[in-house]
Amino acid sequence: MVVRMKRRKIALAMAMMLCVGQLAGCGDAADTSGGTESSAGQTSTASSVFTGELEENVTIQVLENDTAISKGYFEELINAFNETYAEYGITAVDANMDQYLDLANDGPYGYGPDVLYQANDIIMQYATGKHIYPLPVEKLECYDSIPEAAWNAYKTEVDGTTYYCGVPVNVQAPMLYYRTDLLPEDWKTTWDDNGNQIPDMIENWNDMYAFSVERHGEDSSKYGYMKSLYDVYFSSGFLFSYGGYVFGSDNTDPSDVGFSKGEAEKGAWVLQQLAGVMNEECIDDTITTNAYSKLADGTYFATISTPDVYSTFLDELVAQYESEGMSAIESEEKAKENLVMTTLPQLPVSGDLTEENPELVDSKAMGGVNGYAISAYTKYPNACLAFIDFATSYDMMVTRSEMLGVAPAREDAAETAGGTSELLYESLENGNISLMPSIQEVSQIWTPGQTFFTDLAKDAFRDESERKYKDLASLKAGLEEVDQQIYDAIFTLK
Amino acid sequence: MRKKWKLGHTIDTGVTYIILIAVAIIFFFPCLWLILASFSKSGTIYSFDGFFPTEYSLASFKKLFTDTTLYNYPKWFLNTLFVATGSCILGTFLVILTAYTMSRFEFKARKPMMKTTMVLGMFPSFMGMTAVYLLMTQFNLINHLWGLILIYAAGAPMGYLTQKGFFDTIPKAIDEAARIDGATNFQIFTKINLPLSKPIIVYTALTSITWPWSDFILPKLLLKEKDLYTVAVGLMSLDETEFARFAAGSVFIAVPIVVLYFFLVKDMVNGMAQGAVKG
Repeated sequence: MVVRMKRRKIALAMAMMLCVGQLAGCGDAADTSGGTESSAGQTSTASSVFTGELEENVTIQVLENDTAISKGYFEELINAFNETYAEYGITAVDANMDQYLDLANDGPYGYGPDVLYQANDIIMQYATGKHIYPLPVEKLECYDSIPEAAWNAYKTEVDGTTYYCGVPVNVQAPMLYYRTDLLPEDWKTTWDDNGNQIPDMIENWNDMYAFSVERHGEDSSKYGYMKSLYDVYFSSGFLFSYGGYVFGSDNTDPSDVGFSKGEAEKGAWVLQQLAGVMNEECIDDTITTNAYSKLADGTYFATISTPDVYSTFLDELVAQYESEGMSAIESEEKAKENLVMTTLPQLPVSGDLTEENPELVDSKAMGGVNGYAISAYTKYPNACLAFIDFATSYDMMVTRSEMLGVAPAREDAAETAGGTSELLYESLENGNISLMPSIQEVSQIWTPGQTFFTDLAKDAFRDESERKYKDLASLKAGLEEVDQQIYDAIFTLK
Repeated sequence: MRKKWKLGHTIDTGVTYIILIAVAIIFFFPCLWLILASFSKSGTIYSFDGFFPTEYSLASFKKLFTDTTLYNYPKWFLNTLFVATGSCILGTFLVILTAYTMSRFEFKARKPMMKTTMVLGMFPSFMGMTAVYLLMTQFNLINHLWGLILIYAAGAPMGYLTQKGFFDTIPKAIDEAARIDGATNFQIFTKINLPLSKPIIVYTALTSITWPWSDFILPKLLLKEKDLYTVAVGLMSLDETEFARFAAGSVFIAVPIVVLYFFLVKDMVNGMAQGAVKG
């Protein structure tokens, strides 16, 4: 009897605990709204925290990307800044965190950086979550030197007012990497029809395709152009070149998904044909990972990647030359001479890579703008803004471009850097770089995109009878399915 | 008849050996592959001829300890050593105390506590990660190696049952005899039971050091600064092109724990034999 009573008491206690648990979510709404109010308040009054009065004797933590740290640029930047602002006692230090930080979770507890360098889509996701401050960009020295297209990557509108949440530093877009010493010896007579001293395969995809077939035909272990189709960032550019896009209304309307729009199926066809001259490693991201060493050992002739990894390609090639017996200085000189990074070749209007003398159009590509933002959890917003102003000055942007090989977002710095930086800058201004959308719905495009491109790559290695995408209509249908999947992913749970 | 039995015995032994060798190869092959890959001269997985590298050198290990601008492996190694040693000392101390208390003392809450710890021990430790993170933020123990040591050590007594089992095998008559001679509880523990418990202390120390040595989840959760990373977290943060460094780092981190294991195993067996005679 006593035992039964005891059990009843325990059961009653557990039931009460369950009830308390259920009620736990019903806290005072005022608390929650209070939090939101302060967050929302930051958006509408953000400029008020930037009073212009520098916080003195403070240390600000800056999160830079790994390449800038490993190449020594970041040390140079903070040393120069600390020297300039020594009279105010402001010191910038390395935040010493993983470059792929989690500001949303760590920031509120005071463990995030004060200033962060990230891609525009990441920064704008933080902006949506109100983890970063909108900035008084017009006060910055670089404001007039950066094109509107780059600023737009950080633009957001709240209640009809426009805010900018980041400051563009450099433009990222796919570039073609190739080695001049792997060109045929007689390329000037056989692969330069227009006689402009630029190999035809670098100028258009039809010749790149033909050269890839020829190179692989001569030696089955060698390839021409190689790139994983799996990677949506790189592959989607082929769709954009024929009228496709990510979201409508300049990438701001997630209800209009446009991977299949225009004649995007022609871009998918181009990719399918290119996969045919690669091997099955193009199905997953193997080629993306091994391209550095395979370009260096001559297995691949060309690939595409972003400008910020130029130094990695160069280091691999230098190491390869050294292993072949060259001295360190000679290897470096030869590697710099032979490794070329340039804009993407032109595409045939028809989408047919076997067409002779095709009409050509410029290749478009998905790009991004990396830049600085200020954490909403910083205690020193004015010192942070001073740091950004300093880091985006003409001198620092030129130094950054020289040391890292990146394309500056500042027009004057891009002009000084010349070469690829200028070409990239021109592509951005000409609209050939379609910036990654800055709305949070962009996170839903990757998986459906990867699934389609993987399937497309596999198709190139299926038997003729088993092929899924046999004509342009089937490719169009496949892309429309991608659009629908993305739309469903965005709106099903909304 | 005898011949038939001998044949059967030989076949049985042969099959057993074949199975054991096959299992050993299955487990050993990935380790061998990683060790050879860490000595690869090219430093990239894609230059391998089939499974194994074509040329060998110590370049990856040299780079691991000299190129520390972005990936400070020596620092990560020292951090791991500090956390593992601290957790081992504190954890072993707490486990032995808990097990001894549960084995030797009778008190009202003893049975309920034993049941509760057994049930709680069934839940996976990562279930409480969010709560641990929030608690550690409140105690300001994020980005502190001591925070990790405290969590590992505090969780260690949950697995006291093995140690309690060992203490149960030491006859209580020895305690009673000592008590008659006027020994206090503390003296009985330190002068009589502890010297007899060397094997279980070694066992506890060994198990307490291996978990923090290779754990990834907790250090990843609590350590935000790169200079505070343990080796497991640091290796996971390497860039995709750093395979050689990853392989070398993985091989090197295994060396101390393997050496320690062999040393302690010898000690543990000796201690066990010693304890058995005395018992």
